[in-house]
Order: sequence, then C-alpha cells, then structure tokens
Amino acid sequence: MEKQLKTDFKKTIDSSDYSQKEIIVKEKCLNEFIRSGFPSKKNEDWKFLDINQAIKSKIDNLNYFNENLPNELDPKIYIDGLEHNKIIFINGRIEKIDFKYEESDKFEIKDQFDNRGLLNNVNSLVDLNLALATKYYKILVKEHYSFKKPLIIYNITTNKISSKNINIRLDFDLKSNSCLKIIDYSIDKSEKNFVNIVYNFSLEKDAIIKNYKLDTAENDNIKYSYNNFNLDTNSVAENFILSLGSSFIKNEINCNLNGKYSSAFVNGIFNLDNNKSHEIKTSINHLNENTKSYQLIKSVLGQNTKSAFQGKIFVKSNAQKTDGYQLSKAILLSDNAEFNAKPELEIYADDVKCSHGSASGSLNQDSIFYIMSRGLNYNEAKELLINGFLLDVVEKITDNEIKNLIKNIMGLKE
Amino acid sequence: MLKINNLNAKIENKSILNKFSLNINPGEVHAIMGPNGSGKSTLSNILSGKKGYEVTGDVVFDGSDLFKLETEERAHRGIFLAFQYPLEIPGVNTNIFLKTSLNAVRKARGEKELDAIEFLKLVKEKAKELKFDEEKLNRQLNVGFSGGEKKKNEILQMTILNPKLSILDETDSGLDIDALRIVADGVNSLRKENNSFLIITHYQRLLNYIKPDFVHVLMNGKIVKSGGAELAIELEKKGYESFS
Amino acid sequence: MRDKQIENLKEYKYGFSTDIDSIKAPKGLNENVIKFISNIKKEPKWLLEWRLKAYQRLKVLKEPDWQKPKYPKIDYQDLYYYSAPKSFKDKPKSLDELDPKLLETYKKLGIPLQEQKRLNGIAVDAVFDSVSVATTFKDTLTKQGIIFCSISEAIQKYPDLVKKYLGSVIPITDHYFATLNSAVFTDGSFVYIPPGVRCPMELSTYFRINASDTGQFERTLIIADRGSYVSYLEGCTAPMRDENQLHAANVELVALDDAEIKYSTVQNWYPGDKDGKGGIYNFVTKRGLCQGKNSKISWTQVETGSAITWKYPSCILKGDNSIGEFYSIAITNNHQKADTGTKMIHIGENTKSKIISKGISAGYSDMTYRGLVDISKNAKNSSNYTQCDSLLMGNKCGAHTVPYIKNKNSDSNIAHEATTSKISEDQLHYCQQRGLNSEDAVGLIVNGFCKEVLQQLPMEFAVEAQKLVGISLEGSVG
Repeated sequence: MEKQLKTDFKKTIDSSDYSQKEIIVKEKCLNEFIRSGFPSKKNEDWKFLDINQAIKSKIDNLNYFNENLPNELDPKIYIDGLEHNKIIFINGRIEKIDFKYEESDKFEIKDQFDNRGLLNNVNSLVDLNLALATKYYKILVKEHYSFKKPLIIYNITTNKISSKNINIRLDFDLKSNSCLKIIDYSIDKSEKNFVNIVYNFSLEKDAIIKNYKLDTAENDNIKYSYNNFNLDTNSVAENFILSLGSSFIKNEINCNLNGKYSSAFVNGIFNLDNNKSHEIKTSINHLNENTKSYQLIKSVLGQNTKSAFQGKIFVKSNAQKTDGYQLSKAILLSDNAEFNAKPELEIYADDVKCSHGSASGSLNQDSIFYIMSRGLNYNEAKELLINGFLLDVVEKITDNEIKNLIKNIMGLKE
Repeated sequence: MLKINNLNAKIENKSILNKFSLNINPGEVHAIMGPNGSGKSTLSNILSGKKGYEVTGDVVFDGSDLFKLETEERAHRGIFLAFQYPLEIPGVNTNIFLKTSLNAVRKARGEKELDAIEFLKLVKEKAKELKFDEEKLNRQLNVGFSGGEKKKNEILQMTILNPKLSILDETDSGLDIDALRIVADGVNSLRKENNSFLIITHYQRLLNYIKPDFVHVLMNGKIVKSGGAELAIELEKKGYESFS
Repeated sequence: MRDKQIENLKEYKYGFSTDIDSIKAPKGLNENVIKFISNIKKEPKWLLEWRLKAYQRLKVLKEPDWQKPKYPKIDYQDLYYYSAPKSFKDKPKSLDELDPKLLETYKKLGIPLQEQKRLNGIAVDAVFDSVSVATTFKDTLTKQGIIFCSISEAIQKYPDLVKKYLGSVIPITDHYFATLNSAVFTDGSFVYIPPGVRCPMELSTYFRINASDTGQFERTLIIADRGSYVSYLEGCTAPMRDENQLHAANVELVALDDAEIKYSTVQNWYPGDKDGKGGIYNFVTKRGLCQGKNSKISWTQVETGSAITWKYPSCILKGDNSIGEFYSIAITNNHQKADTGTKMIHIGENTKSKIISKGISAGYSDMTYRGLVDISKNAKNSSNYTQCDSLLMGNKCGAHTVPYIKNKNSDSNIAHEATTSKISEDQLHYCQQRGLNSEDAVGLIVNGFCKEVLQQLPMEFAVEAQKLVGISLEGSVG
C-alpha cells in the first residue's frame, strides 16, 4: 500500500500546480496516513464499522491517483423542480460551477491554498484527503448576504473508474449574518471505489448554514464524509443526513460551538436493506455559554443491515446553561439486522441540561394489529408505521422547499 | 416583631423594592396587595433569605438583624414562607422531609426532637384538620401533586412548624372555594397573641376568610396606601388603577 | 501518634491501621511467589498449575488503558502479594483463639465477630489483608447444607465444587487484572447454596486492607444451585496511607435453574486525602452467570470510596428467561475518579435486564458511567431498560455517560435514558426555608436522587449507605 501511495502521490503532485507550501503540508499528511493506515475496529471511533476490513474485502489494489478523464455531463441528472446553484464533481474533479442565481459581488470562490482550518490530525482519513485531494476550493459568502437559491453539490462517479480512492475537499466561509443552504447529492454509476469527502465550515456571528446530505443512489462504493463546523456567536448549523443508498457509508459531523448562543442540529435517517452498513458519528462540543444542540437519528433496518450511531455531547466547564439533547431510535425488521449506538455525554459544567436516549426494537405489533383491523394488509400497515416513524425526522428540516423535495425522494406521505 | 425600614432591592440592576417600610407587631395580620410585578414575591423571597438580590436597608426580626441570618436560621427563629410555587423534590418522601425539618427547627430552639411515633401522631392530627389526604404524605415531596395539594401541603407544613411569622405568598391563587376555606382555617388556627402573618395576595377573596388587621397597597416597590380591612374591599371595587 | 490517629479518624472513620505481626511473601511477582502462596495455603497441585497458567498468560497481556481515569504506572514487582497475620500460621479453631488486636480492629469497624454479639442475623466472613479470619454463624448455615467459608477452606474441603466453578465465569484468559488475580489470589469467600434452599440470613464479607505495600487480591465464588436464593453483602475499608494500594478482586457468581443471587456492595475504601494523595485503586472484576433457566442475578453497589474505582459488575444471561439487574450509586468528591457501570450480555431467549445508575460528582472529581447492553441474535424477545442520571456539584468536576448499545435481534427492545443535572438553587432554598442547613439539604436531595438504588439494599445496609452518601459529599457545598 505504501509503495502505491507514494507513486500515486507523486503523480498527483506532478499533475497540478501546487505551491511549495502546499506540497509540504500534503507530504506531511501523506506520511501521517502511511503511519496510521485505514482505521480498524481497534480504534474506538471505528468500533462499529470496520472500514479497513471493508476496503480490504471489497477493493483490490486501491489506487490513489485521480487522473483527468474526459467526461460528459448529462443534464438529466439534475434535481428537478428546485432552482439551484451547482457545483459538479465527476470522479472527484470539478466539472462545473454555476452560481447563476446569485449576485456575483456577494460571494467568492477561491482556489488558493490557505493554512487555516487544515483539519490535520483529525483522523487518518482526513489526512489522506488532505494529501490527495486534487484541488482545494473555498466558497466565501459575504456579510449580510443570504443565498437566494440552494447550492447543490453533485458528486458523480462514472463507470470509467474502479478501485479508486477519490478525495474531495471544500471549504465554506460564512461571514457575519450570511446564509447558505447546501444539498450534498451523490450519483454513483461506479462500484468498488473509496470516496472520501471533507467539508470545512466556518461561521461568523449570526451566520446560518443548512447542510442536507442525501445518499440515495444504490451503489457498491465505500464512502466516508467528514464535516467540520466552527460556530461563532449566535450562528446556526442545521444538518440533515439521509443515509439510504451506499453499501457502506460513514458520515461524521464535528461541531465546535465556540460562540455564545450558537447552536447545532443533526437529524438523520437510516433506511437500509440488502447488506448495507451505515454509520453517523457526531461530536458536539459546547465550548461557550448558552449554546444549544439537538440530535435525532432514526433507523429502519432490513435484511442483513447494520446501522450505528455514535453521538457525543461534550460540555466544557465554562459552557454554563448548555442545552444538549440527543435521541436515537431504531426499528429492526429482520433477525439479521443490527443496531448499535454509543450515545455519550462528557460534561464538566454543572448548570446544564443534557440528556440522551436510545430505543430500539421491533415494529409495534399492537399498532400493526390496530391498523389492520381498519382494513389494511400487513405490508400497508408496516409501511404506514415506518412512514410515520421517519416523517418525524424529515419534519425537523426548516427549509420547506427542501423538506418537500426530500419527502418526495423518500416517497413519504403526510 | 418585624421591622422593615427603607428596604431597597435590585436584581440585575433593575430596582424592584424602593424604600419599602413596614412594621409587624406580635399577633397582627398584615395583608399586602398589589398588581403583578409590584414586588410582592421579591419581598417574600428577601425575607426568607433567597440569594441573588442586591439589598440595602434594615430588617430587624425579633431584635436580630435579619440579613445576618442564613435562610435556615431564619426558619429556626420562626419565619415560615408558604411558597407561591412549592418545589418538587424527587425521591424525597413528604413525611421524611417534614420530620427532618421539624426536628431541625426544634433542635435549634432547644426543644426535644420528636421520634417517629410522636411525629406521626402530630402529622396525622394536623393532616386531618386540614383534610389533607394522608396517603399523599408517603409520596415524593410535591411530585405529582395538583396545584391545590401543593398549597395545602405548604399550610400543613406551616401548622406543624408553628412559626412566629408566616408569610403566605399568593397561597390563594389556584385554589377553589373549599381549599381556600381549609387554608384559611389553617391560618386562623395558628392565630394567637404572639403569631403574626404577612399575607401577600392579588385578590381580596382570601381576606374574606382571614380578616386582616392591616392592608397595604404595594405599587412599584413601595407601599402607597395603608388601612384596615375595608381597604381591601375598596381596592376590589376600584382596582389598582385608582392608586397609581 | 494517638492524637494524629484521632485527627485522621474524623475525616475517614476507618483510617486507622493495626500493628499486627504478619507473614509476607517476598516482594514482587514471579513463579516463586505464586508457589509460595500456593504452598502456604496447602493447595492441591491442579490449583498451582491453574495459577501458573494464569501467570504465563499475564506475561503476554497488556494493562488496559482505555478507561477515563489514568493512574501512574504500578510497579508490580514492588508489591507484596501475600500478607497474613502471624498468629494465623496455624489457623485458630475458634474465635477465642483469634489475636485480640484483630478482634479489636473489627470492633472498631463495627463488625463484632463474636457470635454472642450477633449482628442482626447476618453471617460475616471477615477478610483481613489477604486471609479470611473468621466466619460467623457457621452452625446455623451448615444445618441447611449451606457452605459459607473462606475460599481457602473450600479448596481443602470442597475441591470438586471449587474446581468445577472457579474460573468458569471469569476465565484465566480474561483481562489483565482478572488474570493477575487468578495467579495470585489469596483468599476470599465461598458460598454454596444447595438446591431449593433459601438462605435464611444475609451473608456478608468485610474486607480490610491493613498491611502497607500490599495488594489485596481476594476471590469470591458464589454458587446458587437449582431453585435456591441468597443475598450477599460486601463491605470494605482500608487504613489511610499516603501511597496508593491496589485492590484487584475477582467475584464470580453462578446461578443455576430458578436460582437467585442478590449481591450488594458498600465500597468505602480509603479515597485518598482531599488533595488526592493516597487511596485505594479499586480494579475489581465482578461477573455473574445466569446459567440456568429463570435464574436471576442482581448487583447493587454504593461506591463512595477509593482513589480510583474501575469496575463493571456484569451479567451473562445465558439461561432462557433469566434476569440481570444492576443498581448503582457512585459518588466521587475531591480528586476521586470512578469509571464504573455494567455489562448485560443477553444470550438466552426472553432475557431481561435493568440498569439504574446514579452518579454524583463533586469537588475536582471525575465520574464515568460506562455500560454495554448486547442482545445477541438468538436472544429472542429480550429487553433492557437503562437509566443513567448524573448530578454535578460545581464546575471543577466531570460527569460522563458512555453506553454501548448493540441490538442484533428484531424481537428485542433496548431503551436507554440519561440525564445530567444539578441541584437547583430553588430546591436548596426551599429546604433551607424549612430549617435544614445547606449540607443536610444537599444530603436530603441527593438521597432522594439515589432512592431507587438505596431501596434495593438490605435494611441495615441502606441506613449505613444513606449516611455514607451524606458524609462523602461533606464540604462540597459552597
């Protein structure tokens, strides 16, 4: 692996015009990754989903150089019925950026390397990402500007690639009192690749980010996504994760509530069947007074599936009046389904309100019986119950247009 | 018994009581009436020793400087506050709480502490007088009690602790007529030569059952008018507006 | 010296030490020491081999380091692994032959060993440093076929029972401290309740570490045969010493069909002084196996002592319809650290478990609840309910909740709830207005917070535990 990494790293460096400074950082990260490798089960954070094992068993001869392939863009893939700005990645390279709905002097797209917020030393996958991501883009939203339309980031993989590690990195800089909505949408026509995505958000005071992540397309890739948030006073990060399609995906969210009255929301849905293993891991760090967090994660688990939720609420000793809440619920539909949870509280301040809960079990047979007594068959009754179970999470989405879009995608009925 | 002289109170720089003065002699019943936000509850909080207020002025209780006494010392010397919103304390049995506090007070007064049998006898007797459901005494303190039950529980505690000065902070709010009468009976049973009362209320109706010796109207942190029982009736007719 | 002792007693009531001549194994851990222990205890050959096998295993194991409280490296070669009062070389036949100083020690601890001063019908086995010194009420128990004696005695008298069950719940290949115990354990209690017998009294062991530089490695084995019932209590104290002392006990419980074991602990080892100097490292492995159908094992613990507490009394629910329970109060103050909780492993069908944990941290202390609920694929129709509540007093301490939840069976339910809160100013004010001083008010509210767990303790223990809860938090209210 080490040899392959070094060769591919050299190709990556040679194929682009990195600054000397950038190369030094990339080399450092590469060496870090070589030292620690893919995280395995022995690592506490990877206890439930073993990515090392998954990559070993699924992908032969993983290679890390992401050459520039000619691609064709099929406009049919665009999400319908919602006007939006676009960033399109095909096989890990930016193909198109289109911000036609916005005032051009209210945002900037930068591709200069910037030492701040490198996110090194987070974990070995973030290091790998930093070492090998082909281009580093930063989207800056200027003060007091709210994006008129959502930004959809299309992550497309095509059947031209296989056994490939794709690394995507984007940074978002929201200046004070600005607002941005993102939909992270992946379309996979490939299989047996490892997709590694890192987004880094920094929010100045009163800024709002709404981050909706949709993993809907069936695919046999292995995916990891790490989203980091730094929140200043009174800023808000709203996250929603729809985890459906990939055979193996782990979404990780880290929020640092640095400023007073800042808040973070993470809501998520796993609706899995056919040998899928998904995980959401969150760390919400309450680092200042009057900060708030809310998390609701629900799983519906079919044949041979596994979901895991690791959620940690950390409260620093000066973060008095923290309000932290977390709930995970799971319905197991099959005897070959597995639900894992590690809801964790680490609290050093006394004037706080923190709680977490977790509940897992089968569909409530009494409810099924009740519905069937009103004339529905078993499957209809089951669907009705699951529908209600999941709708609850979708209702937490604060953007109505996007909420309806997600309801449509999921086929949820009100 | 209680001499309040030029009491000023602030919370977070907001002035609530403003040169408030009041004298209560042994055996007297005083009623303080005032609209919402006039400072009624602040007065009861300060007298009972609640922290968080910036206070100046003199309050002398039974010859001692009240501000030099801790909350529990005030209770030992005979100040009792019937809370406007009695607290729920999960896991703590009502009877055990009552016994613990009664014995703490008796001990401080140099009286013999009651054993379980003596205490139960006393509490049963008092509960019966107040028509307080005995079964509730074995439940967790105020947990799952209705608003009326909580208030009756305060009065039960009052009659058991037998204080010199009882402060009733809007004890009448949320009570139906029957409960109101029971509360009044509890107060009247304690009315003796040496026991005084400070009744804080919004409405006159409790005063139909407990006849006050003095009525004071509190507006913006200050007493704007004092008089006899008839003042309460006048107030009920004319409203607080006429005093501002 | 006396004055100083009295001074100390005020803080930690059990902090005295007793000057008793003792026989010690040479310092350090090696095969010879293990042979020494085995020899002095006249153990059969199989047991020596068993110990040596554990020792071989220990050499390849690493000390675990995933726990929250970190501690300075222990020099295992600088400890005594065996210390016994000299007068015990030829074990006394009756209590009259006991060293009077020992009797005095137990009197100070409030445990009269002479049977005439009966302790409310509780049979006591007292363990002093490494050896069991006396067991009371033997005759009454023997009549019913109940065996309650030191494990050393059991090894001599009931080798078949010991051989069958020793290590059956905690194998010698387990984690570091459990394996260390298997290699060097010295004494402890042994209980066997025959089929259908309901043990007529509480059985109790009192542990005391006296000698300095001595690790205490006791081993307790309780077997409840078909349809039997036993309630077992364990109490512990230690003298105040500046250095840290290691306590690494193993407790194994086996419940056969329809049997029930109730195991209660009030742990009050010396916690160190208020600056965190000294105190016991309490690294104990406790595990119960519900081997039979309809069996039940219930752990109740009140943990107020030790510098570091690191233990997870667990239940393996193997028999169908078996039940596991864990009730815990853990209090840390000053610089104490605790990482404690339980594991409920559901294997059989219709197995149920319940976890109620109340953690209170004050001062500069740190408290972690760590627990695992694992419902395996075949554990049809099983359920768990977990509730973990933490109370913080001040913002120099920490409270952590780390539950691991694994559900692999669709007919099974797991529910987990956790909260963290503080004592509200309003609650304190209310109690103080009724005449309680602030410490009594806190004691009252905290006891209310712990009530669900205190209720599980046998009467005599519950009273003691309630007092302990109050004492442990003294000085923590500003």
